[in-house]
Amino acid sequence: MNNFVKLPLILAALTFLTSGLIMFSESATHDKIAEQKKQILLDSLKQLIPDNLHDNDLTLSTIKIFEKELLGHRKEKVIYIGKLNEAPSVYAIPVTARNGYSGDIDIMVGIKTNGEITNIKILEQHETPGLGDLIEAKKGNWIQQFANQSLHKTVEKQWKVKRDGGKFDQITGATISPRAVVLAIKQALLYHQLHFLPLKEEKS
Amino acid sequence: MSGFIRKRVIDDNAALVQLLGLCPLLAVSNTVINALGLALATIFTLTLTNSLVSIIKPILSKEIRISLFVLIIASVVTALEMFMNAYFHELYLILGIFIPLIVTNCIIMARAESFASKNPLWLSIKDGFFTGLGFGLALVTIGAIREIIGSGSLFSQAHLLFGEFGHVLYWKIFEDYQGFLIAILPPGAFFVLAILIAIKNKAKNKH
Repeated sequence: MNNFVKLPLILAALTFLTSGLIMFSESATHDKIAEQKKQILLDSLKQLIPDNLHDNDLTLSTIKIFEKELLGHRKEKVIYIGKLNEAPSVYAIPVTARNGYSGDIDIMVGIKTNGEITNIKILEQHETPGLGDLIEAKKGNWIQQFANQSLHKTVEKQWKVKRDGGKFDQITGATISPRAVVLAIKQALLYHQLHFLPLKEEKS
Repeated sequence: MSGFIRKRVIDDNAALVQLLGLCPLLAVSNTVINALGLALATIFTLTLTNSLVSIIKPILSKEIRISLFVLIIASVVTALEMFMNAYFHELYLILGIFIPLIVTNCIIMARAESFASKNPLWLSIKDGFFTGLGFGLALVTIGAIREIIGSGSLFSQAHLLFGEFGHVLYWKIFEDYQGFLIAILPPGAFFVLAILIAIKNKAKNKH
């Protein structure tokens, strides 16, 4: 057999074998990967929608949204709704801050039906390590000041960092990241007020 | 230590002497656990690709050997990536792009081409394991130095690799340490690597 036939045959045979290896790995890990992703999602939602405020499967009660203007989204995002006895109790609203120090900051804001924030989670950020990244809960306690806040407790005009004449602390050495996050949280609250608050009033 | 092992782990260390695979070495050596994760992945890949290349030695021919190496290395790494994604999901998220990038780690191609394609199976397995070990040791050493200087701790986030036992491993060396940022940022990796190479050369010149 000359090389003209032999070499392609060898290549084809090995391609066949290695594809088999990849197909096997894919089928062996597919379910586990999906489960891990769901677990990560549920873990991060747990902080926004505490267990005592919902009794439904959060991965099943969602709304797809794409709000370029109000929430700064660059692609389709998902709102998760915690429900207690079928009635919505907490909305976890995704918002993207486009004016961070380096790149977008992806944030999830948990808001109760009375407009109060349960918690805030920074999903993705690329701010300066040691300065801007102190906005993350695992690196600093800055983000905790927003728990239980609402547009009712702090009027819209006050939703700024202190340096801009608002009510909220900034971080020493980093103003841009906190400013972006505060603004994004306000946007999420406004969105909540616009879309979810009237709903509740109709019911009551 | 036999000459075979000593050559691969110390004298011809892939990272410190041959300066191969520096991209992942510098990028993920900011904590011990990240470094260890990538080190284990690299050792595993290198051992497996070396043995596969050695097995297909009879059908290797000069014209298509590089394509065959690429095929084997790429599929082994893809499979590894899936298994890490499934069983060490959080570590996988941290190591991110550097797991698939093991494909481009030139150590792997170099060992396949210069050793495994010419030697019997058992020797190739040993070669892959110990070359990987040398690379891994350099990676973990840099990771340890950077983590101690940068954050004043060791084995932070060890639970990503060892499960519950990892929380016991965590060791805060200096209480109230403010951190030394540059050690964690990319320049720190270059400094630590340079210092290690300098120490290595100094030790070599003494002999």
